[in-house]
Amino acid sequence: MNSKKKGMNLIQKQKAAGWAFLTPATIMIVIMSFYPMVRAFIISLQTGTGANMKFAEPIFSNYKRMFADKVFVKSIGNTFFYLIIQVPIMLILAILLAQLLNNKDLKFKGLFRTCVFLPCATSLVSYALIFRSLFAQEGLINSILIKLHILDTGYNFLGNAASAKAVIIIALIWRWTGYNMVFYLSGLQNIEYSVYEAAKIDGANGWKTFWGITVPLLKPTIIMTFIMSINGTLQLFDESVNLTKGGPANSTITMSHYIYNTCFINVPNFGYASAMAFLIFIMVAILAFINLKVGDTRD
Amino acid sequence: MTKKKNSSMIQRRLIPTYIFLIIVSFISVFPLYWMISAATNTSTDVSRGRILPGTHFMENFNNLVSQQPLWRALGNSFFYAILTTVVCLLICSIAGYGFEVYHDKWKDKLFSILLLAMMVPQVATMVPLFQMFSKAKLLNTAIGFILPMISTPFMIMMFRQNARAFPIDIIEAARIDGLNEIQIFFRMFIPTMKSTYAAAAVITFMNAWNSYLWPKVIMTDNNSMTMPMLIANLITGYVTDYGMLMCGVLFCSIPTMIVFFVLQKQFAEGITGAVK
Amino acid sequence: MKKKLLSVLLASAMVLSLAACGGGSDDSSSDGEGASSGDSNKLTVWAWDQTFNIKAMQMAGDMYAEDHEGFELEVIETSSDDCQTKLTTCANAGDYSTMPDIVLMQDNSYQKFLKSYPDAFVDLTDCGINWDDFAALKQSYSMLDDKHYGVPYDNGVCAAFYRTDVLEQAGYTIEDLTDITWSRFIEIGQDVHEKTGKYLLTSESTGGDTIMLMIQSCGANFVNEDGEAYIVGNDVAEKCIDIYTEMIEKDVVKLVNNWDEYIATVTNGEAAGIVNGNWMNATLTGIEDQKGLWQITTLPAVDGVDTATHYANNGGSSWYITANCKNVDLAMDFLTSTFGSSTEFYDAILPETSGIACYLPAGESEVYNEPVEFYGGQAIYSTLVEYSSHIPEFTKTPFHYEAREAVNTAIINITNGTSKEDALQEAQETLEFKMTE
Repeated sequence: MNSKKKGMNLIQKQKAAGWAFLTPATIMIVIMSFYPMVRAFIISLQTGTGANMKFAEPIFSNYKRMFADKVFVKSIGNTFFYLIIQVPIMLILAILLAQLLNNKDLKFKGLFRTCVFLPCATSLVSYALIFRSLFAQEGLINSILIKLHILDTGYNFLGNAASAKAVIIIALIWRWTGYNMVFYLSGLQNIEYSVYEAAKIDGANGWKTFWGITVPLLKPTIIMTFIMSINGTLQLFDESVNLTKGGPANSTITMSHYIYNTCFINVPNFGYASAMAFLIFIMVAILAFINLKVGDTRD
Repeated sequence: MTKKKNSSMIQRRLIPTYIFLIIVSFISVFPLYWMISAATNTSTDVSRGRILPGTHFMENFNNLVSQQPLWRALGNSFFYAILTTVVCLLICSIAGYGFEVYHDKWKDKLFSILLLAMMVPQVATMVPLFQMFSKAKLLNTAIGFILPMISTPFMIMMFRQNARAFPIDIIEAARIDGLNEIQIFFRMFIPTMKSTYAAAAVITFMNAWNSYLWPKVIMTDNNSMTMPMLIANLITGYVTDYGMLMCGVLFCSIPTMIVFFVLQKQFAEGITGAVK
Repeated sequence: MKKKLLSVLLASAMVLSLAACGGGSDDSSSDGEGASSGDSNKLTVWAWDQTFNIKAMQMAGDMYAEDHEGFELEVIETSSDDCQTKLTTCANAGDYSTMPDIVLMQDNSYQKFLKSYPDAFVDLTDCGINWDDFAALKQSYSMLDDKHYGVPYDNGVCAAFYRTDVLEQAGYTIEDLTDITWSRFIEIGQDVHEKTGKYLLTSESTGGDTIMLMIQSCGANFVNEDGEAYIVGNDVAEKCIDIYTEMIEKDVVKLVNNWDEYIATVTNGEAAGIVNGNWMNATLTGIEDQKGLWQITTLPAVDGVDTATHYANNGGSSWYITANCKNVDLAMDFLTSTFGSSTEFYDAILPETSGIACYLPAGESEVYNEPVEFYGGQAIYSTLVEYSSHIPEFTKTPFHYEAREAVNTAIINITNGTSKEDALQEAQETLEFKMTE
């Protein structure tokens, strides 16, 4: 009897501890994110500036406005284009690199790892500067292509819609692959080496172990990086601003870049900007939840 | 003898891997090289596309130090970034641990809701946040700087996902040994998850170091300037001194690289086998 | 030991976060008052260029302090983008407490602030400045309903900068390019490009200024007098766009994608000419091996437009007193007695900053008439001040950046094969759309 009571206490204690552990983080997020989000939602129903904000008539007119806004519609298209092309390439490359670098026979591992990580530690300013100069009409890429007789004259990569998009995607992959690799590397530590040994004994080749063992065991990490990348790409801002300024003719502008312009470059319209931000929010939320539903199961 | 032969055979089989990694490393490092070399050239040379190192580093450096409070900005950035990292790691790791180890239907639901917090673009929440911080008299303070960054759904998620590999048996055993829940977290979880902590530290440090939009809105005096703000000041005039700019950028980039280099061993080859 | 340390850290983190949740009331040590100083003899200023406007402001502060004991001036370096972001955030939050006393703002962006946040700035109309000492156009950037809000400082007067050595190579002199029309410019430009491979004009394709200064040199804009979008049916606008697209087709202008490329065309010698604000001077004089090769002259005028002139303005900035200023009288007196009325002050800052004043009497002084070696002995400063007095006025719009973006997009679309009618129609619609709420 006595021991049973004590046991229940223990379970209750554990339960309490579980909730206590999440409390600081949850409170912080509620205050720092949810409260401002609610405020932002209220702003998204308003028009005007500063002290003269008033509720829009009709109340959802900022949301309606988006669909009449050609530049914003274009920016949605651009952003999804980046998402669909860039995220899969980057994540596959990151897993591959993590797998290669997790080989215990490999030498200079630390050096290689640092090299691959360096791009995301490189300051945005220098990275934008160098990508712009690399892909300039007289830039290094063009002079190499001319030397190889692939091109006759320099191609204006950043001046044409399709190639400017390609440059942004290349830049994104360059910058964020190493970042994602970090998560995979740390995730791989949780896969015991003996699992691989066993696979080897079973005669599985590298490709088979990769798909049969590494990927399934890394699933929680993959889900996480996927959600993060979707979020990052749908909120993409730096590359559009710094590499192409959204040009030529808005062909590379992203949603976040357009929202930023609406707040800080153009005549400020925070109501409309908040409404657009909430559209992004809904898109990310849907994609993230599909992701969690499909992949985040405990087995 | 056979062992040696064996290892050289393994190394030979790894040659394609080496070649691939060397190419990837080269592509990754080239901009860094360019940055360093640009920091040693004059502005005109950089603009003309010179990629070889020059001899003007000291000149650029002296210009930078005479125009900008470089050391103070570095100091501030270090202070904010380290403070953010320490606090963020503690709050988020204990939450991630709580979400995974004690998971039930409600906690999973709560987690999904918290996840929503990272999905709204910052521009939208900035004005309400600013109002809040201004009312709380937190403008121009370190607390104001770090508060929005110390509890991120993303870090919680990282710890939650990684805690999935943390064996429940250890917890059970520890409980039998009479450790309480907090002790289990500190004595069992933290040492075991060193690799996750190291990775999380690198990422958080980097984000805090590079954070720009929020700090520039709430930090309004010269004494609280951070490195990204300093860089922004270098590119705003009518004339950009590219040599000096790249010199500043170099100082802004190196610390993150060092942090990575120091911590990478931890998360990449730290504790294999020790978990289970 | 380690564990103890960790638990201490955790505990302190909890305390910290709880304290923060409670409103951070414990944080009394820090200065929560914001940037503007309550101190009665101190002014804070936001400005953004160490070698230029910050330096000028500091010199003004030193000068003023000589006659006013105890006067203190603190300049906070805030890049111009940051300054806009901060002001927008503060103003939209309805909380001006972090603003400085005096702020420097780009002339192109001021109208939008004035429209959106009219109470963020102090009316300076009666501060004692003789406003006629500034060119009418310069005043108009910081005016609304006949009230003055800003003291014009940094001049954006444009000039055509040419490499005389390249012109010579192609058989031209600077006189051949003086007071010409754009169609003549195109002929010469083509000739120069064929003979030397260099370009007489460089322009940014996204958000570029060239089209704006072309239309403004005619005293017109992409909005009509009522401030409505006026692209379709705007004869002057169409003429400018025609000229500009013709220049692109005929390889007279080199289109670049960003400012770095723009600068690079000058430093690597690809550009034989630059048509832009006088502030290009600072970049040019930094290229030591092109010393003596450059000269300036008037801009080409738009063909077939009655109001066309050879003068335009691009950029520039003015000083404003914010609503957060606790000591408006001091700030007004400071601005009036330095930037607003002192030729000695302008004489002193010219050699230090190479910044050309908006203050017209300054142009008559000796310092401004000294020959500049970089331009082969041309006295560019007085010339530029003279140019600035000829610039025609035009209707300002808060939607400056929107208009510029819409028109530049139309130009790209035209060069990519869209018909002019369709492209302009789209630009008109885009701009109209932006102007509605």
